[in-house]
Amino acid sequence: MNTDERTEVFEQRAREAFDESVAALDAQTRSRLNHARQAALDELRAPQRWSWRGWAPAGAFAVAVLAAVLLWSAPDTAPPAQVAEGAAADVGVVEIVASGEDLELAREDLEFYDWLAVQPEAVRNGNG
Amino acid sequence: MASSDTVHVQPARREAAVAEIREEVCLDQSQALDRFLAGVERRAFRIAEMAVRDRDDALDIVQVAMLRLARNYAARPSEEWKPLFYRILYNGIRDWQRRRTVRSRIFAFLPGSRRDDDDEQDDPLERISDGGPDATRRLMADEAMERLEQALESLPARQREAFTLRCLEGMDVAETATAMGCTAGSVKTHYFRALQTLRAQLGEVW
Repeated sequence: MNTDERTEVFEQRAREAFDESVAALDAQTRSRLNHARQAALDELRAPQRWSWRGWAPAGAFAVAVLAAVLLWSAPDTAPPAQVAEGAAADVGVVEIVASGEDLELAREDLEFYDWLAVQPEAVRNGNG
Repeated sequence: MASSDTVHVQPARREAAVAEIREEVCLDQSQALDRFLAGVERRAFRIAEMAVRDRDDALDIVQVAMLRLARNYAARPSEEWKPLFYRILYNGIRDWQRRRTVRSRIFAFLPGSRRDDDDEQDDPLERISDGGPDATRRLMADEAMERLEQALESLPARQREAFTLRCLEGMDVAETATAMGCTAGSVKTHYFRALQTLRAQLGEVW
């Protein structure tokens, strides 16, 4: 017998020993494997359930793109000083609301505050 | 009038026909996968059991491999299932071995710890043959397999994979390469070295 033949004999022997061990599996193991297979096939047969996790990356990407577009395309017409002034006014409003002061007085003089808001800076400071 | 009816009815019929075909395809696919898994599950279990030396863990590994194949690759052509399935199986085996290595390192530091498999020795009484016409042949086959498993354990992991898939599973070089995630040349090298070592260990007359 040459080397190739001896190798073939060896491989054949290994294959037979393995096949015998597979055939000798006990009933309990075979049953558990059968159950495992049915569980895997159930997964395949079940209708595809919608999962938010599958769309999460796409959603996150869309939000990021939207935010980028909004930031890039937002009209930046107001000069920095005016923006800061607006922000300060907003903070003032928040402070008034948060302080819990009586707002009835303010409601009575709405027309006055409207007028005051459109007056030049000098009038508002009492210098006009 | 008739033509406008045709325009409205045809898409609905087409959709129903497409849904019907889709259902049939799904059923065929499910049956084909059932046949495939039924054909490989016992062999896959023995391969996993030889690698992890634990019946329950081997069953878990095979179950996960079946689920992953059904979930992720059922739509692939059925010729691709076998190498994909064994690739998933070996990934599961490697994950298990990594976890065991980490666990054994952690437990090595704990006082009074002992190896997991100390209390999992085979009961010799279970291995005694119950007689019958094939008893002697079975006993010899069991012994031969036991010796082969011991020899396989001494091989490096990649050589063991190459030998198991090529020789025991009968996969060709290309399929084995897909299952192992390497080139055909690497498969040939691993297989050749595995054969040399095993023959040296088990002898010509094994």
